[in-house]
Amino acid sequence: MRATSEGYRPGLVNMAAGQISREIFVNEEIYQEELERLFARVWLFVGHESQIPKPGDYFVSGMGEESVILCRDRAGKVHVFLNSCRHRGMKVCRYDEGNTPVFTCPYHGWSYGTDGKLVGVPYFREAYHEKLDKAQWGLVEVPQLSFYKGTVWACWDPSAPPFLEYLGDFVRYLDLTLDGWDGSEGGSEILGGIQKWRIPCNWKFPAENFCGDSYHNISHRSVDLVGIGPSGSGRRDMQERLMARRLHVAFYERGHQTGVYMLPKDRPTPPSYQHSSVVAEYFAHCEEERRRRRGEWARLIGSPGEIFPNTALHPRQPRTIAAWHPRGPHETEVWRWYLVDAAAPAEVKDFLRDYYIRYSGPGGMTEQDDMENWNYAHAASRGTIARRYPYSYEQGLGFETDNYEWQGLPIPGTVMDITEAKSSEHNLRNLYRRWAEFMEAASWDELATWRVARAAE
Amino acid sequence: MTEPINIRTLEPGTRIALVDGATAEIVSNPADGVWVFARCLSSPDDAARVGSEEMIFAQDIVEIRTAGQ
Repeated sequence: MRATSEGYRPGLVNMAAGQISREIFVNEEIYQEELERLFARVWLFVGHESQIPKPGDYFVSGMGEESVILCRDRAGKVHVFLNSCRHRGMKVCRYDEGNTPVFTCPYHGWSYGTDGKLVGVPYFREAYHEKLDKAQWGLVEVPQLSFYKGTVWACWDPSAPPFLEYLGDFVRYLDLTLDGWDGSEGGSEILGGIQKWRIPCNWKFPAENFCGDSYHNISHRSVDLVGIGPSGSGRRDMQERLMARRLHVAFYERGHQTGVYMLPKDRPTPPSYQHSSVVAEYFAHCEEERRRRRGEWARLIGSPGEIFPNTALHPRQPRTIAAWHPRGPHETEVWRWYLVDAAAPAEVKDFLRDYYIRYSGPGGMTEQDDMENWNYAHAASRGTIARRYPYSYEQGLGFETDNYEWQGLPIPGTVMDITEAKSSEHNLRNLYRRWAEFMEAASWDELATWRVARAAE
Repeated sequence: MTEPINIRTLEPGTRIALVDGATAEIVSNPADGVWVFARCLSSPDDAARVGSEEMIFAQDIVEIRTAGQ
């Protein structure tokens, strides 16, 4: 194949030049390799514990292209199973969520307990003469499962590092989404249902956008003019931009990245949510509490980010987690979860629900702008001629900083300060740098480079 | 051939006759249309089954017994 024979680096992902081939977005063979080398080896977000509070509760989720069942068994233990009967592969669960004692395949009737064990086989005595070893034919279960502040993560590769090691220090940025706004540990919960919809583009288009593509703000000009924001202007409360350092933060060895706003020392967070006095007072109170609990770290206000490879974080306005599920090289299925403070008053939650759906999701005004860009960019990159020309990711190349610190607050990760530069593609490059490493590496022995460095010390 | 039975509607406590001549009482019904959980009441072929709880396959259920049958 032409594309892969050139090598991922520098042929397709040229970090030195800041150029990336369109092939990695549109090529069928690269896509198939991606499923194996990436999605079968990374940690993927599969849901939230609050979605399955009781024994027998389940939520049908996805890992790569494959349907999986997140469920709590009768004993209360949480599992993630491949949603495929071991007999002929039919989905054993075709609902989105619910509660059940068994998952029964509608094809031939094999039935599985919520612990994954095969418990029902039609004509077990008559046709199998009781010789089928049921213990060998349970649902396929993911070998690694991890829970973090309510979120549930799964990984098909038993040799992958544990989830918190996979995150590294990036966990502090994930906390900006998962902790209560008052700084309480894991004080968030899922609001409402999960929005799911399909868009005709490669999954990496939305993934790179949420890494911190601040360059595309012009696309949202119309939404800003409409003023869908929670204070009645813009699409978000953005006063912090006038006083904060704007940073792009990337973790080279892990592939995670985010934007953050870093407020000056001893300056209060600007007022927000001015459309409702109740909501405004709630968040003002939370900000005070957050400063008390988190100290200097509370000077950080979250901005879009991405846990490698396909889990998007949007920590503030709106506060959501999205998974970009691949559905072939030319289609992505978006699943978006919305979060609120579990302890917030009902009026605050209602206000946020209205704002969230105004902004995000298939009907959200801001996300519609994004989808239009991704869809047309993908379509216009599929052609024979178009594929010959790489994309440019050169913004800020060579201006990254390690050990970044401002007014006494050090920032973990490799940082690009874009306060004056306005924009960079530092975080986007990081996504593809790590992507290329996964596409080349034979095993996690090559990917967990931090372990090598630690051993050398 | 007997008429097919919609097992999704069978409530716990319902008594059923099975194709092998056994009878059972439904304990719970996952309403998947394929299986019910039932306690064996009688079994002409295997007395050891009596009293045990089993998953009963829909196609093995041949009749719904009314009270007293």
